Amino acid sequence: MSTGSTVAVTGLGCLSAAGCTLPECMASLFRGVRDPQPPARFQTAHPVRYPVFEVPDRFLEDAAWRDWDILRTSRLALAAVREALGDAGLARAALRGRRVGVCVGTTVGSAMNNEEFYREYRSGGRPEMAPIERFLRSNPAAVIRRAFDLSGPCQTVVNACSSGADAVGIGRSWIRGGVCDAVLAGGADELCRVTYNGFISLMITSEVPCMPFDRDRRGLNLGEGAAMLLLEPEDAVRARGGRVRARVLGFGMACDAHHVTAPHPEGVGLRRAIGVALRMSAAERGEIAFVNAHGTGTPDNDRVESRALSDLLPGIPFLSTKGYTGHTLGAAGAIEAAFTIACLEEGRIPASAGFSVPDPDLPAHPVAAATAVRGRLALSQSLAFGGNNSVLVFGKA
Amino acid sequence: MRIAIEGVGVVGGFGSGLQALADSLARGPAAADVASVPAEGETLSVRSMRAVSRGLEDFVERRTLRRVDHFSRLALLAACLALREAGPQPPDPKTLGVVVATGYGASRATFGFLESFVADGDALASPTHFSTSVHNAAAANIAIILGAQGPNLTVSQFEMSVASALHSARLMLLEGQAETILFGGVDESCDVLQYCRHRFFGAEDGEVMRPLDFERQTAITGEGAAFFLLRRAAEGAPSSCWIEEVALGNLADGPPRIPEDALVILGADGNRACSRHYARALRDARPVLAFSHHYGSFPTAQAMDLAVASLLLRGVVAAVAPADEDSGLIREAACCLKMDGKGDYGLVTLRRS
Repeated sequence: MSTGSTVAVTGLGCLSAAGCTLPECMASLFRGVRDPQPPARFQTAHPVRYPVFEVPDRFLEDAAWRDWDILRTSRLALAAVREALGDAGLARAALRGRRVGVCVGTTVGSAMNNEEFYREYRSGGRPEMAPIERFLRSNPAAVIRRAFDLSGPCQTVVNACSSGADAVGIGRSWIRGGVCDAVLAGGADELCRVTYNGFISLMITSEVPCMPFDRDRRGLNLGEGAAMLLLEPEDAVRARGGRVRARVLGFGMACDAHHVTAPHPEGVGLRRAIGVALRMSAAERGEIAFVNAHGTGTPDNDRVESRALSDLLPGIPFLSTKGYTGHTLGAAGAIEAAFTIACLEEGRIPASAGFSVPDPDLPAHPVAAATAVRGRLALSQSLAFGGNNSVLVFGKA
Repeated sequence: MRIAIEGVGVVGGFGSGLQALADSLARGPAAADVASVPAEGETLSVRSMRAVSRGLEDFVERRTLRRVDHFSRLALLAACLALREAGPQPPDPKTLGVVVATGYGASRATFGFLESFVADGDALASPTHFSTSVHNAAAANIAIILGAQGPNLTVSQFEMSVASALHSARLMLLEGQAETILFGGVDESCDVLQYCRHRFFGAEDGEVMRPLDFERQTAITGEGAAFFLLRRAAEGAPSSCWIEEVALGNLADGPPRIPEDALVILGADGNRACSRHYARALRDARPVLAFSHHYGSFPTAQAMDLAVASLLLRGVVAAVAPADEDSGLIREAACCLKMDGKGDYGLVTLRRS
């Protein structure tokens, strides 16, 4: 059944607080720019105004879907698709007649948690049904499929913080399995009061800009954004004269089976996922240029990752990019996949924003400055509530 | 390439276990409960097929279940029942994956979390409700309690959730990402969902669900879970039956291809907006069956249809309702077709041998 095709990434779209396109994001990362602020689009009654990373609304300029009544998560996803297709040099018409699948990871985008509706309902009022109708027509993968008139499998992955990475891995399977001619795979998530309150309630948010892997790290900052990767069989890309930006060589997925929110202290699932991904990509350790870690800035997550990376990939540079984007939940794995590919192309990685003082309890530390990297491969890893661990291996074109 | 079903577990308004489902199919569904739902300062009486996770403590210690909510309990019970049906040799947890389909996720925890900060202020939002409200909570709890360290995936696609998730589960097995997979669909009902249904559709047209009456709105809310232990085909004949194909598409690109020899089970569930597409989906005037009146209307009820199909193919069920004596129930194949309101379809083909 498998076609055995090498899976090529031919288009990338990415938006986050760091920028409304991938080039904008990368420019911010290499300038070391970050500016988390208290949320501007909603208010809360918390005594502390925890900073977040919001996407500027200018991403909606000139968007054909600007006035569609859909969730912000879907708008972010559509913007990323638009950029990815443009990056691949493919107009909408070029997709007709091809089986193009859509696989999108999200959390907020699939949650029926409209606060305004619920407040009115619980107070005994008669709420407008518009928020519910909006939710029902905002399944991100279905929105993309409708917007671009695609015919191919369609899936929304709701695996918490590894959703975006999982969607890319699943998209890879669809290509390898001959299910589709192309896949738009990625993730999208918006900031909202529900997740803001939720993460604060878990006491894992930081009152200051996050400091992944730093000795003084106090937790995560939330963010929002989206990224989409256009995946195609490489031989088909070459046949049409297209450009390959990278290859998705491996994907490993494993569960800690330990706790609903905390990672396994020994990183059991992460280690297994790294092993699976490396075996799948037939990678030699010496070929790995760097690792884009999950690096949320929480004490537990960063400790687990540092230990695993120190044991399995000693001496290989790694970083967290969440210091530039915040934790974008369902979008994170996809945004970080896009960053990983861009860094692989450039042969350099930015400083791990927020890191300055090594934690003596951690055996491995991220790069503190922009660093040239060598090697044809890079890993991007994501850890999630529920104990999911997902690792993608990308190869240079 | 096909994959094998080794065990099936179900819990729904009919009770728990395949025997309870078979009994319901044989004698006809029990009358739906009447639930009281707060609405607009009054109380709505709505019909509902509620599921209970009675019997879960036969598999999991009560202490372990302390923080496990209704949504995850339904999934856990169905998963444990599937494992029990598969036989005494449990799958290797290191290579056991978990794939879950859900339409709305843990809706009670979702609204419970909203309630916690709407009622008591942002600073008093409940961390327990938040952590149990994530859509992948059921998959996580199954993995934690069973020690399943393989891939773990949750898919949410409303009525297409089951077919979409099963599509991925199948690929995971064929690629060797897992040796076995616990795959299932789960959804729970709650007051807010019941209220929304009432606002969209009004009162049910009649007291019973008539899933094959496509012109009427007769859906009754249900909830439940159906799980399957799946493995690759290469390792011999299955205990239950095979999953031959999973197809996803839209009627705009043509109707689904249904094998000539297959029994057709429609996921029609009394929701007129979806039901109108079934007639378009069927190319020929073959007999069709529907069983949603045994478990109610919920997005992942196609998983229940798959459980029924497995019973039919095994010859366990001798009679089904609505009565169709000419349907030739002991068939070699069965197709479970689910439509949504936009013409999307998910078609799963099972085969006996």
